Order: sequence, then structure tokens, then C-alpha cells
Amino acid sequence: MTTDCNKDIKTIALSGRIDSGNAAQAEQDLLAQLAGVTGGVVLDAENLAYISSAGLRVILRLRKTYPDLKITNVNSEVYEILEMTGFTEMMTVEKAYRKVSVEGCEVIGEGANGKVYRIDKDNVVKTYKNADALAEIQHEREVARLALVLGVPTAISYDVVRVGDSYGSVFELLNARSFSKILAKEPEKFDWCVDEYVKMLKKIHAIEVPAGKLPAIKDKILKAIERMKDLLPDGLGDKLLAMAREIPESDHMIHGDYHTKNITLAGDEVLVIDMDTLSVGEPIFDLMGMYNSYVGFSEYDPEIILKFQGFDQTLANRFWHDSLAAYLNTKNEDKIREADEKVRCLSYAKLIDWSIRHAGDGSEKDKATRDLWMSRLTELLKRTDSLILDIQSASGDDRGELDVEATDENLEKVIAFVNKQLEAVDCPPKSQMQLDVAIEEIFVNIAHYAYAPETGKATVRVEVSDDPVTVSITFMDRGKPFDPLQKVDPDVTLSANDREIGGLGIFMTKKMMDDVQYEYKDGQNILTLKKAL
Amino acid sequence: MIIRKEQNQDKVILAPEGRLDTVTAPELEKEIQALPAEVKDLTMDLEKLEYISSAGLRVLLATQKKMNATGGEMKVCRANETVLEIFEVTGFSDILTLV
Repeated sequence: MTTDCNKDIKTIALSGRIDSGNAAQAEQDLLAQLAGVTGGVVLDAENLAYISSAGLRVILRLRKTYPDLKITNVNSEVYEILEMTGFTEMMTVEKAYRKVSVEGCEVIGEGANGKVYRIDKDNVVKTYKNADALAEIQHEREVARLALVLGVPTAISYDVVRVGDSYGSVFELLNARSFSKILAKEPEKFDWCVDEYVKMLKKIHAIEVPAGKLPAIKDKILKAIERMKDLLPDGLGDKLLAMAREIPESDHMIHGDYHTKNITLAGDEVLVIDMDTLSVGEPIFDLMGMYNSYVGFSEYDPEIILKFQGFDQTLANRFWHDSLAAYLNTKNEDKIREADEKVRCLSYAKLIDWSIRHAGDGSEKDKATRDLWMSRLTELLKRTDSLILDIQSASGDDRGELDVEATDENLEKVIAFVNKQLEAVDCPPKSQMQLDVAIEEIFVNIAHYAYAPETGKATVRVEVSDDPVTVSITFMDRGKPFDPLQKVDPDVTLSANDREIGGLGIFMTKKMMDDVQYEYKDGQNILTLKKAL
Repeated sequence: MIIRKEQNQDKVILAPEGRLDTVTAPELEKEIQALPAEVKDLTMDLEKLEYISSAGLRVLLATQKKMNATGGEMKVCRANETVLEIFEVTGFSDILTLV
């Protein structure tokens, strides 16, 4: 028997056989070791080969003094005895973990916290570097289960095993390829990867997590900023901390390590793996990690990205930019840059904190890398006043279509809708105003005449095509068939006294747009405006 | 919409601000109709007018006609480039007295 004291829990290892021949002796030994112990007791049965009823009686007596007594690492023969005698229902009995050797196994993945080995045809085992691997494994299993239940397609380990002195979790081998591999080997799938990657990210961020299930990532980041802020000059550290505190709390899911090695394609299904960093918070916190995965970590030494992701820095930069743009739902480079800078304020803070804590005294290269992050962050903080992101909603307006009651009061709504659709393109103020004029004339025309004296619905659709950038706005209503283009143009050369009041709207529209088309089709008036920008 | 107004005996300056469109044009119309008959010198200061649609133009044309009929004068000043562009397209730059 050997013992190990861990906090208030006394662990005693049992070994060999406990039967009528040695039960009395075993009891004496146990009691001697437990003298003065008031906390919990764990009997480690890893090396226990057999226990007879005499041995079981010893445990029963022990349990009277220590009601929380636990037996762990029980092999299958002993477990069978404990099960037959009802012990498994009386007390906590934990089966021994199956032992798995990874010697000579193919390494199919490697992350910061451990390696993934292929142990046979259908299974892989993920090992952990940390000493506290078991707690980590259990945490990851729990959050992965939670994520799956809440709607994130992920892989869940089905068994926990011993691997040498540590533990591992076993997963079914998926015939899956990570997005990193796809990007590295099939660059023509770049746009597809961006789309799917961002779609999945938005899906995760849309999930509301029941209170208390996951930690708030904001707390973790605030702590990181508190640790590193005094390295920044001129009170910029306090500015950063204040801005980070202003980021709202959120109960929406955050992956926490959302990069292309953790997104895989299995058949035609996209799966997210590595759930151990799952938390709740605002989207900016996932974007923060994404920037670091693609750009931040390798900002000083671009070789790092090649080693880590298998693709080069140019592709990584482009992937970050395009993903951010898709996430923000905009093509407006100013907006993308603005968001990028906000995200990077947090990214650099995280990197600097990480570097102080992990790089030790550091090599010249570590120092140069940190200096680069520091100078970038300092520059950014001087011109950044908020870390709140402006993210366009992904639904509804996204279709570029608005259904609205055609009334004068809704004119403002229609103009705001069209302008929002045009945010992504650079629309010169003059064109903007000309579009506004045309939209007003057409929409007010529908409001006044299409359903008069009643009112009815109108649909406004905005499309933008490239080369040259052309805006097309279509108005549809189910009112009386009416072609406004038939109206005779006013004579704009007449004097004020001879001019008719009115009749200008359609004329202005025709003058200011490049093309105006009307058709009546399927019971609808369809009027389309086109203007090249 | 905000319409600033300055009156000095028979001289009036009206300065509509923001957007003069279908929704807001009736407000300016009301303001003009409320002017006493003896006002013979009306200035429309458009410095802060960002936008004008045909509804706004109708009010300006109606006012111009009224002033012509009563022997008064309406001047339009400080219109910005986009508003001037609209006056140009619609022939209003010839009708109105732009100063």
C-alpha cells in the first residue's frame, strides 16, 4: 500500500489480492494510514487483482467513517465483483482507463496542447501535454457535448484512455480534411472556403448559451490586458482597458480558436473541432484569435504560418481580409479596415501577454517579435476610440429586397434601405443624390397612384453589378397598370409663369438615371432604374 | 424639417435645412403661405439644404409664380452643388433668380 496526499483527499493504492487470508492485516494498514484523516478517501485499485467478500467487508466498515469513499482505476475483473455485490450502486466506483500505446503510431495532427495519433484503422487518440490532462479532457468532452446539443456540428470523443503517464481522448477517425489542407492544396477553392468558414462562424455566434455553462471570454481578455497594459506608453494601456471594458457582455457562443485547422470537411459536411476554448462573448473575440492565427503570430516571421497552417503569408493575409469582409457583410474597404484595426488592438494585447508569460527571458527573435507587436499596438491605440464593431445583420436585408407599404411616410425607410445596400460600393455623393431623387419619384408615384384611394405593398430590390459598377433598383407593385414613362416631358425652357407646377418627377428620373424600363407582368408594375457609378 | 426665418419689415429670409422632399415640402409651403401679403422681398437661403426633389421644386415654382403675380421678388442663394445640379437639369436655373 502506498499513499498520496492531495489537499483534503487521501489516496491509498491497493495492490495484489485482498481475501480472508490478509483482510484483517489490510484493514489495520488502512486504518493506520487514515489516522487523522478527515477529508475524502480514494482507494486506487489499479494494481488490485482480486477482492473477496472478506475484503469487501473491510471497505464497508471503512465507508462508515468515510461516507464519500471512492474506488478508482478498477480493472474489469474487480469491477465485475463490485457490480455483482451492489458496491457500484453504494459508492463511486470508477473503471480503469484502457491503456493505449502511441509508440510508432502515425501523428496526424499537432497543436499547441498535444498531438493526435492514429491508433488503428478507425480511431485516433488526442493526447495532452498538460499535467492536468484528465480535467482538460473531461472539460473538452463536456463542452463538445454542449456545442453539439446547441447545434454545432462537431466530433465527440467516445472514450478516455491512459497514454503512458497521461491521458488521451479517443475519436472515431473521420475521413476529413482540414480547411488548411484544402487551402494549401486547392487554391481554386479559396472563395468556397471563405464562404463556408464564415457561414459556420456566424452559426456559432448566433447560438445563445444557457447561463453558467461556458466562461465569458471577455473576463479572460480583460485579465490579459491588465497584465500587459503598463508596458504601453502614454496611458495607452489604460485606454485599451477602458475600451475593452466597454465591449458589451453577451451570452452568444464563441469558439475561441477558430482557424482553418479546426474546421474540417468530412464528406460534404463541415465540422468544427477543438472545442476546449468554447466560451461566450461578442464576435470581436473570435476575430481577435483569427487575426493572430493568420497574421499576428507570423507577423515578424512569415515562416511560422507555413509551418503552422501549410499555406503562405500572402494567402493567409488574403484569407483574413476576405473572411473579415464576409463576416462584416461589406465590401467597403474603409469599413473593413476600421474593423481590422479594432480587432488588432485586442489581438496584439493577447499576443504580448502570451509572449511575456510563455517566452521567458526570450531570444533576440522573441524580443524583436514582441517589439513589433508593441509598436503596431501603440500606433493603433493612438487612433482607435472604440472596440465596438459595426456588423451588418446577416439576414433579411441581405437579400437586397424590401417589402413595404407604399406610403409617403415610408419614403425615408426605402431610401435608408437602398443606401444600406449601397454601403459596400463607393457611391459618389452626386450619384447618391440622383438615386435618391429617382427613388423618391418612383416610390411616391406608387404611394399616390398605384392603389389610390387605398394603399398597398411595394417591393424594392437593389442589385449591384460590376464592371463598371452599376446599381439597379427595381420597384414592383400590384396596383393599377400604369407606365409613368408615357408621361410627356415638361418643356423646361418655358418661363416660370408658363411652367406647369408638377410633372417634373419622372422627367428628373429619366434625366438622372442611365436607363429606366417599365413593364407590366404577372399582375405587377415593374419599374427598373439603372445607373452606372 | 427645420426652417429658419428672419423677418425685417417687408424683407424675409427663409432657410430650410436638410432634405426638402415629399414628406417635408408641405412644411415649407405652409411657412410661405403664412407670410403676410406685404412681403415683397423673399430670400431662400439654401446653404444648409442637402437635397431637393420634385416636391421641393414645386414649392419653389409656386412661390416664384406668386411673387411674379404680386410684383414681389424671390431670390435663391447659397445652394450647394447637388441642388444646383437639379436646378440645371430641370431648367429652374433659368426660372429662379439665383444669387
